[in-house]
Amino acid sequence: MATYILRRIFSTIAVMVMVGVFVFLLLRLAPGDPAAIIAGDKGTPEMIAGIREQLGLNEPLPVQFVHWALSILSGDFGTSIFTGLPVLELISQRLEPTVSLSILTMILSVTTGISFGIVAAWRAGGLIDRILTVFATLGFSVPVFVVGFFLIYLFAIISHWLPVQGYQPIDHGFGPWLVHLILPTVALSLGYIAFIARIARASMLEVLSEDYMRTAAAKGASSYAMLFHHALKNAGVPILTVIGLSFASLVGGVVITETVFNIPGVGRLVVDAINNRDYPIIQGVLILVSALYVLINLAVDLSYTLVDPRIRY
Amino acid sequence: MTISRRDLIKVGLAAGTALSIPSVLRAQTAPAAARTARMVMGNFTDFDPVFSAAYSSGNHGLAIYDTLFALDSKLMPQPQMVGKWGVSDDKKTYTFELRDGLGWHDGTPVTAADCVASIRRWGQADTGGGRLIMERASDISKIDDKTFAIALKEPMGILLDILGKASTPCLFMMREKDADRPATESVNSNIGSGPFKFNHALAKPGATFTYDRNEAYVPRLEPADGFAGGKVVNVDRVVWDNIADQQTAFAALQAGEVDFLLEPSADLYPAIEGDPNLDLEVLNKAGNVYFMRMNCLQKPFDNVKARQAMLHLIDQEAFMRTTFPQEYISTVTSVFGSHTPYSNDENTGWYKKGGDPEKAKQLFKEAGYAGEKVVIIQATDVPFTNNATQLLAATLRKIGVNAELLPLDSAARSARYRNKGPIESGGWSIFMTFESDYERGDAAGNPTLNANGEEGWLGWPKSDEYEALRAKWAVVKTLEERKSLARKMQQEYWNFVGTVLLGEVVSPIARRKTLTGLIGMPGLTPMWNMQKA
Repeated sequence: MATYILRRIFSTIAVMVMVGVFVFLLLRLAPGDPAAIIAGDKGTPEMIAGIREQLGLNEPLPVQFVHWALSILSGDFGTSIFTGLPVLELISQRLEPTVSLSILTMILSVTTGISFGIVAAWRAGGLIDRILTVFATLGFSVPVFVVGFFLIYLFAIISHWLPVQGYQPIDHGFGPWLVHLILPTVALSLGYIAFIARIARASMLEVLSEDYMRTAAAKGASSYAMLFHHALKNAGVPILTVIGLSFASLVGGVVITETVFNIPGVGRLVVDAINNRDYPIIQGVLILVSALYVLINLAVDLSYTLVDPRIRY
Repeated sequence: MTISRRDLIKVGLAAGTALSIPSVLRAQTAPAAARTARMVMGNFTDFDPVFSAAYSSGNHGLAIYDTLFALDSKLMPQPQMVGKWGVSDDKKTYTFELRDGLGWHDGTPVTAADCVASIRRWGQADTGGGRLIMERASDISKIDDKTFAIALKEPMGILLDILGKASTPCLFMMREKDADRPATESVNSNIGSGPFKFNHALAKPGATFTYDRNEAYVPRLEPADGFAGGKVVNVDRVVWDNIADQQTAFAALQAGEVDFLLEPSADLYPAIEGDPNLDLEVLNKAGNVYFMRMNCLQKPFDNVKARQAMLHLIDQEAFMRTTFPQEYISTVTSVFGSHTPYSNDENTGWYKKGGDPEKAKQLFKEAGYAGEKVVIIQATDVPFTNNATQLLAATLRKIGVNAELLPLDSAARSARYRNKGPIESGGWSIFMTFESDYERGDAAGNPTLNANGEEGWLGWPKSDEYEALRAKWAVVKTLEERKSLARKMQQEYWNFVGTVLLGEVVSPIARRKTLTGLIGMPGLTPMWNMQKA
C-alpha cells in the first residue's frame, strides 16, 4: 500500500510538470500581449516595449520558463502582472468560496443522487423510477445558468427569502455563509444529482440481479438489509469513482455558477486572468487544480479498499 | 442517554449565539448599510491610474487621489489642490501654490516636491497632453514646500486645460516616493490625498474593492461643480462590486443588494424603467463617439478614395441601432464631437441620412479596388462592435467588397491592432472603437486626432497639412482662436479621412431611487456628493 501511494504521489508530480510545461507554452503561443493590454489602445510602441522589459517578457522563452520553474520549486508562484499581488494570495482569497460551493454541492448531490438511484433501482420500471428518470434527464439537459436565474427569480426577487448574489466567508458567521450558498448549491447540484442517480441505479440494478441477492431474499432478509448491507456495498466502486471525478471537476469547473451568482471563486479568477493574459495566475491555478485532481483520484482509489476488501494495492 | 426537548432548545440557542458572534462583532466595526453605497463599476485590473489609461483605473484614481486642477460642469479647468496660481507677463512661467490642509492618507503633508515628481511621471505615461507639456517645458521645479513652477519654452494657452484634463490618464498627484518610480511600473500603494481611502484589508481583486471616507480630507469651500469644487463625501463607505453577469447585477439592484449599475446593457432598460424603485439616469450627457479606423498603410485603404467611400457608406443611425435604443443615439459629423466647444460643420457635405452606398461603390471603383480582402476585427466582448461589425461586413459585401470578419477577444485585439503589415502577415483592415465626446475636444493631446503617419495612432493616417494646423493648437491664446483653428483642421480632416464616425450614444446608469446626488461628467464617475437615504 505504501509503495502504491508513493508511486501515485510521484505520478502527481509528473502530471504537474507536464501541465506546467503545456500551459506555459500554450499561453505564450496564444495571441495577446499583457504589455499591450496594460498600455491600452492609446499606448505607444515605446511604452509597450518598456512594460514588456519591466515584466521580463522580452527574455527568450526558455529563460522565462527556467525563471518560472525555479520560482515554483521554491514555493513562489509569482505575482499577478496586473495587480502586483502574489498569486498564492489571490488563489487563497478565492479558494474558500469555490471549495465551500464544491463541498456543499457534493454533499447534496451524493446524498440525493444515491438515494434516488437506490429507490429507482428498487422500483425499477415503476412510476417512481420513471419520475426519477425524467428528473435525471432534465438535470442533464437544463443548463446551470437557466436553473440559476430561475431560482434567483423565484427565491430572491419574488419571495426575498435568499440573496441574489455574493458570498460571505464562513468566519463572518455560519448563517450568512450558508444562506449565500443555498441557491448556487441547488443550481449546481441538479446535474450531479442526475449523474450520480443514473450511475447508482445502473450499479444497483446489476447487483440486485446477482445470485447472492436472490439467496438473501430466500433467507428472508429485509428490504433494508438487502439494499444497504448487501447491494449498496457491492455497487459502491463505480459510484465512488463517479463521486471522485465529479468532485475533482467541480473545483475547476464551477465558473458558470460563480458568474451567475457572483461568487468570487477560483473559476472567475482564472477566466479574468485568461482574458487579461495574466500568465502567472493562469499557470498557478492550473497547476494547483491539476494537483488537486490527481490527489482526489488517489483518495478515491484508496477508498475502494473500504467498500471492497478484495481490492488490494 | 436521552435528550429532552428542553436540552435541544438550549443547545440550539447556544449554537445560534456562537454562530452569530462574528457577525455581531463585524457590525460594530463596519458602517451601517444605510451609510454604505454599493456600486457595480466593472472590474479594474490596475491600481495605478497614471500607468493605466483604463476608465476603471481612472475612477479608482478619482476616489483616492486628488488633482491640481479639475474641470467644472462647463469643462473649464478650476483650481482643486492649487490654492493660488499665477503666470508671468511673457506667459512662459506658471507658478502654483498648494492650498492648506492637503495630506496623504499615511498622515504626511502633500508637498510641492510630490507634485513635481507626479507631473514628471505622468508626462512620461500620458502620450497626449502629458508628453506635450514635457516637450514644451524648460523646467518643472519646486520653489518651496508649497509652491512649484512650470517654465515653458514658449507660451502654451492650454496648459491649465491639460493639467485638469478628465481624459485618462489624468494628472493625479502621488507621493514623491511613488511618483519617482518608472512610468512603465505600476504603483500599487494606493496612498493618495483624495476624499476616499482605499481599504486594503477588504480588497479582493476581481471581486470587490472598498473605499472608506477620508475623515482628514479638507474639501474646497465652493459647492461641487463637475469634477471641481468641494469634494464632500456623504457616505461612510463605498463598495465596488464586480458583477460579471448583467442579469445578475440587475437582479441584485432590484433586490436592493447594490445601489448603482454603471452601464447596464440596453436590453435591460425597459425592465429598469418598469421598476418603481429604480431610475435610469444619463450622467454623461455628452456621451461617447463610436468610430472606425482603417489601416491606411495597406490596400485598399492606403488609397484616400477608399477611405472616402467608407465615409459615404455609413448609415450612422442603422449602425447605432444595432445595439442602442433610438432615444439614446444621435448622429455626429464633426471630428471634434457634438458637445465640445470646437464642434463645427466644416466640410461635412459627405453626410447623408441613410448613407450613400452608390457613391461609396463609385469611390471604391475610382480607388482601383480589385477585390482585395478587407478584414474587419470583430470585438466579440463589446456589444456594439460585435453587432456593428456584422452590419458593416454585410454592407460592404452588398457593394462588392470582399469583407471578412475576424472575431477576437480583447487581449488578442490589443496585439493585433499594432500590426501594420498586410492581411497575410497578420494585419487588419478595419476596427471599431469609441471614446468620450469630451476627448474629441483635445486635439493636442488625444492621439486619435493625430495624422502623423506611422508615428501616430492605430490606422496611421498621414496629412502634413493637418499636422501643421494641429501644431498650433497648444499655442493659440483664446478659445475663439482655437474654434477657428478647429474649422480649418476639420476641413483638412474630412479630405484625408483618418477616421469614419459611426454615431454617438449616451449611456444611462441605473440606480436605486434612494441613491441621489450623483455627479454627471464625461468619462469618469465621481463618488463624492452622492447621498444614500
